[in-house]
Amino acid sequence: MAVLRTLLYLVVYPGLVFLFVYSTFAEWFDRKVYARLQNRMGPTHTGRSGLLQPIADFVKLLCKEDVVPEAADKTLFNLLPIFGLAVVATAGLLLPVWNFSLAASSPASFAGDIIVVLYLLSLPTLILFLAAWSSTNLFSTIGGARVLTMLFGYEVPLFLAVLSPAILANSWRLAEIAAFYQRRPVLILANLLGFVIAVIAVQAKLERTPFDIPHAETEIVGGTLTEYSGKKLALFRLMADVEMVVASGLLAAVFLGGFPGGALLGFVYFVVKTLFVIFLLSLLRAMTSRIRVDQVVSMAWRYLAPLAVLQLLIVILLKGFLS
Amino acid sequence: MKLAVFMPELLRHLFKKPATVDYPFKKLEVPKDFRGTPFLRPELCIVCKACERDCPAEAIEITTVDEAAKRFRLVIHNDRCVHCAQCVESCPTSPKAMDIDSLFEIAAFDRHDLKKDWVYVRAVMKPKPVPKPAPGPPEPEKA
Amino acid sequence: MKFQVPIGPQHPALKEPISLRMTFEGEVITDADIRLGYNHRGIEKLAEQKTWIQNIYLTERICGICSHSHTSCYVQGVEKLMELEPPRRGLYLRYLVAELERVHSHLLWLGVAGHEAGFDSFFMYTWRDREVVMDLLETISGNRVHYAINTIGGVRRDIDEQQKAKILEGVVTLRERSEYYFRIGASEPSFVGRLAGVGKLPKERAIALCAVGPTTRASGVGIDVRKEDPYAVYDELDFEVPVSDSCDVLGRVVVRVKELLESYKMIEQMIRKLPDGPVAVKAPRRAKPNEVVSRYEAPRGENIHYIKSAGGDKPERLKVRAPTLGNYPATVEMLKNGFIADIPLIFAAIDPCICCAERTVTLVSARTGEETVVTMSDLRRRAKARDSQASLKRNAVWPF
Repeated sequence: MAVLRTLLYLVVYPGLVFLFVYSTFAEWFDRKVYARLQNRMGPTHTGRSGLLQPIADFVKLLCKEDVVPEAADKTLFNLLPIFGLAVVATAGLLLPVWNFSLAASSPASFAGDIIVVLYLLSLPTLILFLAAWSSTNLFSTIGGARVLTMLFGYEVPLFLAVLSPAILANSWRLAEIAAFYQRRPVLILANLLGFVIAVIAVQAKLERTPFDIPHAETEIVGGTLTEYSGKKLALFRLMADVEMVVASGLLAAVFLGGFPGGALLGFVYFVVKTLFVIFLLSLLRAMTSRIRVDQVVSMAWRYLAPLAVLQLLIVILLKGFLS
Repeated sequence: MKLAVFMPELLRHLFKKPATVDYPFKKLEVPKDFRGTPFLRPELCIVCKACERDCPAEAIEITTVDEAAKRFRLVIHNDRCVHCAQCVESCPTSPKAMDIDSLFEIAAFDRHDLKKDWVYVRAVMKPKPVPKPAPGPPEPEKA
Repeated sequence: MKFQVPIGPQHPALKEPISLRMTFEGEVITDADIRLGYNHRGIEKLAEQKTWIQNIYLTERICGICSHSHTSCYVQGVEKLMELEPPRRGLYLRYLVAELERVHSHLLWLGVAGHEAGFDSFFMYTWRDREVVMDLLETISGNRVHYAINTIGGVRRDIDEQQKAKILEGVVTLRERSEYYFRIGASEPSFVGRLAGVGKLPKERAIALCAVGPTTRASGVGIDVRKEDPYAVYDELDFEVPVSDSCDVLGRVVVRVKELLESYKMIEQMIRKLPDGPVAVKAPRRAKPNEVVSRYEAPRGENIHYIKSAGGDKPERLKVRAPTLGNYPATVEMLKNGFIADIPLIFAAIDPCICCAERTVTLVSARTGEETVVTMSDLRRRAKARDSQASLKRNAVWPF
């Protein structure tokens, strides 16, 4: 029975099938909100009000010809999309959605798993850089250099901002942090500054406007993914979608009080809270224009990092006050 | 530095109807005098060949079918036409023999399907009616 | 580490093919080389084989965005050659459409600048408002692009009271939206951060490199053909030429938005002052032998057409100097010492209409890589020589 439950957890919910299906839904939601903010229609005709559009795009890419440049490093070039998808799917398994008990730790939920999730989420950046490097294309090289330069900017504020609620909740385990904020919802407000910083930093991690400089279409053609086509490009785009779902799940678990109530109610909470975070990400995407990579780094270190330290200070003082 | 100046406008648009016209599921309205496809009214044409001379795209071709019976053939090559309506301007008859309608969805799979032709007898230009003199002041009655 | 990157001829940032070869060191551009010729269509040669009336439609198709400016410049010149005086109402209608075209072109450019900077929402909003102008032009002239409203001796269509009222209504909506964009463009920090200080062109260099249009008006040089050499109705209208001193891309945005507001003023004046009367005079078929230079202020700058007539019903020579061609040397200057990330913005800031500017041909020898610039007369000589030596192709089937 336990084996069956684990298998269901790994494959169906919140495993591979759920992540894939939900990430296509999340991409539809993002595109529809972005379009409506711009007074356009968004996907409309594929499936009922465009719901099948991301799946149609995925299938179309799978059917296209897969070209590997001659000078590219073939092993790396071919394996990197699969690595990327594996990494973000693993990070998705660690979200406190179902099949955990607060008393004992299990492979899906253990002390320190917030650090593991953050680490797994920063691997896609490295994978994109390696993808750019192994393409040996001029535009990809510039894109890869930009990806790493941006990493210097947003990683530190993201880590500081996500770890502040953990410090207040006195635990490094996602399930316990979520349970702490479910017991005392008022304390969510103490982390509002951290939430704003984390949303901006997650937008940078996902490489969306205003931080989509690594694959800026109007400047360097495709950036890191210039040479990818066909199945590999489909997997990279799926990786980007799953990363969006996992990152918003992480933010919802840490800042918005998690997903209580077992399998069914937890599922509803998961959908509602992650869609709220994705709505904020889409709003940020529609509102701003792209900024240059040196401006990203300078803005991150001039504004985001000091504010994250301020948030940390607030949390420490509050903790001292509460005890 | 003002942050998020654009946000109120953006959020307002969430509740407005989209500005997109859902063509081809909804038809587009074209205004009156839209320049669509040219066509001929053969019963009015006097075969002056002004339209053939003035067409910038050489899209009108007039050939003689039968010299004695005054039969002519006019072909409009719609695949060459640029929809400028100069043929309509150059046509000297009134009402105009060459006219333009509002059709713009004329795509076809083969270029030769777009050519339209008319075979007709040259119309005779009717002389303009001489206007009757306006009635002047009544002549004084002979007493 | 120096390396050379080609931007174009195929690139998502470019709407038309052009090759910019840049030499980079890191993220800084050290040299730029512009190569034209990918869009050459032989318009000047074709114009010698079409009559005066047919050429109106040919010159219109030099460009899609500034189509009316090319045809008006041409028709102005031909009217001078034929010594025609178009009626006042015809002239007012012609330049009313010209100002509406300026509005449409600047709104298009604002959207494109937003898109190049990554600000897609701005792009969508300006293009949605541009639909107002396109619909107005469609009711006046019958088509959204390529208005074909000019004829030699005046215009082809008249407008009635209902259309006048619609134009005034449209201008009110557009004025409100343009002022909103002005406020947004000036205060959205990420947008301003991308545009300020980018693509600097100091005033002396702008004059020395003969830049035209809003590119040079943003460097403090206030030249505008409508003010210096007023043609037709412009000396009766009250408007100003906006000038900015910031010499960068932000200055060019500001100049273009101010030009939008000035155009709205001009459109309203023209509608109110529209005189009565006929709209065209009859033009002869032939023109006397003479040559004429016609200047016109297109949305991108000064447009010059040189027309020479030998007394027949076709021109002997038509030479087009589009404004973008005049801005290319200034672009090379602006690109040096910029960042890679700024290339699309700098290039888009001159409002490039690459197909307008296809006038030179460089012959590159495939074997040696040597390049020569060849003049038209030389090319013509070579073509005639080859033609006389080639065997006659019998039974050649034209694909008609």
